[in-house]
Amino acid sequence: MTKWTTIAKHEYTYNVRRKEFIFLTLGMPLFIMVAMGLPVLLAGSSISHAEYRIGYVDKTGLFEPGNFTKYTDEELAKKNLLDNKITHFFVIPANYTATGKITIFAGKKDLMGRTVESQIRNFLIDNLLKRENKDVVERVKTPINSEYVTLNEKGETSDGGLSDFIVSVAFAVFFMLSIFTSSNFLLQGVVEEKENRVMEILLSSVSYRELLIGKIFGLGAVGLTQILAWLVIGLGILTSNPVVFAMLLDRMHVSIPLLLFAFSYFMLGYIVFASIMAGLGAVATTSREGQQMAGIFSLIGVIPMMFLQFILTNPGAPLTKILSYFPLTSPITMIMRLSTAEVQYYEVVLSTMILAVSAIVIIELSVKVFRASLLMYGKKPTLKEVIRYLSES
Amino acid sequence: MGNTVEVSNVSKSFNGQFVVRDISFDIAKGEVFGLIGPNGAGKTTIIRMLLDILRPDSGGLSILGSGLTDDIKDRIGYLPEERGLYQRLTVMDTLAYLGALKNKQSKRRTLELLETMGMLSHKDKKISELSKGMAQKIQLIAAISHDPEFIILDEPFSGLDPVNMKLVNDLILELGKRGKTILISTHMMDQVERMCDRIFMIHKGNGVLYGSVGEIKSRFGKNTILLEFDGELKDIKGVKKINHSGNYAELLLESGADTQDVLKTIASKVRVSKFELSAPSLNEIFIQVVEEA
Ligand SMILES: Nc1ncnc2c1ncn2[C@@H]1O[C@H](COP(=O)(O)OP(=O)(O)OP(=O)(O)O)[C@@H](O)[C@H]1O
Ligand SMILES: [Mg+2]
Repeated sequence: MTKWTTIAKHEYTYNVRRKEFIFLTLGMPLFIMVAMGLPVLLAGSSISHAEYRIGYVDKTGLFEPGNFTKYTDEELAKKNLLDNKITHFFVIPANYTATGKITIFAGKKDLMGRTVESQIRNFLIDNLLKRENKDVVERVKTPINSEYVTLNEKGETSDGGLSDFIVSVAFAVFFMLSIFTSSNFLLQGVVEEKENRVMEILLSSVSYRELLIGKIFGLGAVGLTQILAWLVIGLGILTSNPVVFAMLLDRMHVSIPLLLFAFSYFMLGYIVFASIMAGLGAVATTSREGQQMAGIFSLIGVIPMMFLQFILTNPGAPLTKILSYFPLTSPITMIMRLSTAEVQYYEVVLSTMILAVSAIVIIELSVKVFRASLLMYGKKPTLKEVIRYLSES
Repeated sequence: MGNTVEVSNVSKSFNGQFVVRDISFDIAKGEVFGLIGPNGAGKTTIIRMLLDILRPDSGGLSILGSGLTDDIKDRIGYLPEERGLYQRLTVMDTLAYLGALKNKQSKRRTLELLETMGMLSHKDKKISELSKGMAQKIQLIAAISHDPEFIILDEPFSGLDPVNMKLVNDLILELGKRGKTILISTHMMDQVERMCDRIFMIHKGNGVLYGSVGEIKSRFGKNTILLEFDGELKDIKGVKKINHSGNYAELLLESGADTQDVLKTIASKVRVSKFELSAPSLNEIFIQVVEEA
């Protein structure tokens, strides 16, 4: 094991075991769930489809019961509903075929009313088309099973157009979230290191560069762990509802190259931001102070989100090009462009290279600032001094 | 093999002010070397430059040969002046981590050192649960558990009680006997006098004394009387300064004063139980050098 990986490992385990980390990582989804998701979740899981007992009152004489209970008397249906013998019933008026109007009565307030509706819908279609062949009935129920194909000059590429776009937006959100949360860990981690004064012992074993790189990767991984935990919890909740899960699976056809690009842009972009944050941590005396400076960089990172519409509609415009080469904005911009339009091969290579080189340069600059400001316990270097450190060879 | 440390014409300034000015000294292999000087003299700055934590403005430094690579760092142990450890780690985890960074972990040696330093029963405690002196002993163990050839100790005695001071003292002597090269920076002059082969004294960034303790003392001449006595001792002709400590005193003679005359004067004033003509203590030399500068 090299020394920087030893440091990264230490930083990771030391910080992941922080109470605040565990609290925030588990607390945040819990909070969101309680705040908004819980009622839906409870409703969705407490009344399963099998528990629906649906009755109906038919005034047209067209409908045969199937799984539903037929009532001739509306008063009896109401009584049965109140006695909990059925969970819902609906009334089909005589002029139904002309208006499509029905009235649904429910025993309890039902947040998942749409599942009931879809059962009723299928019941109505089955009855209305009872003379049609089964396949036609199925088609009427789900008329489209879509697959997107984007045509280009060379022939066809069968990508999921909409899915790719969703992936790019998800990428952007995920990237920004990662940066915002990790900047916290990096700033705090570096500022604390200056305070706890272990630094000099470490520096008698490793170089400034190894120390900083170890910190960037270790603390960066802490940020990613948090984001991944949120993602897993989020997906877990989503997919715990089988209907939503099936729908997601059905809709997702993402091109593999896009995912690979997304991964490499994410990693490189993340390293760039993490290195900046570590450098800021080296300059700042308190993590609050670092946060303010970090805010500026994070804001620059959000620019592609603000120009979302513009980027998507003008993939070849100069502004779009600049944004897709500038290292702080290129990951999000490039993934958006890649998901919606053809991007020249060389452009991807060039922007990736710029990103990689910037990561290295920024790490080197951060090392310099780190070195220059480290032993000035509690003393904040002025902007002029920082510029001097950066220009010193 | 040559010298473990070579410092030649090193200068360093902070904000345009010299903190270390044109300093040169060597530390031979296997030597116990004292770096002394008043507060703010520049001792810690020199040590940090040795370890490449700070860069000198000019001059050259070398430790264990040429450039300070990771491999060379593995052969150095450092107890910094700024004391600090990760508060939430246990003693063992701390030592394991710092040892891993030296690539030469030996759990057995670590446990032995914990034993010698009387810290074995605390090995599973968190650092935050230790007293300041205990944490300092852990740091000392961290500095030497990888059995380094060259050990730098910046004020190893500060904050320790007499028992622990003796423990640390014995440990340093033991390491010295095993042929380790040791650089100690401390304000405990009697420790320096007893332990160090040679010393370098820095004052306001300038080197002021350099050589073996005996040689430096003889340079100052046998101009001191060590006295054990009963009674009140004051105003003695031919003595320019008296350092009292209970029934003992260190008397500094004026240059040209006749020791026999002084003895007669003293004997007429107090009951003398011991009289010894000697070189001044390092402590006295230190004070003289600082006051004269
Ligand atoms: N990072 C720094 N920036 C500016 N001045 C510094 C810095 N580090 C040290 N100094 C100054 O350099 C001088 C020497 O400091 P140093 O820590 O080397 O002294 P020292 O001999 O170790 O003193 P002590 O015995 O108190 O530990 C002091 O005047 C101090 O103010
Ligand atoms: Mg010092």
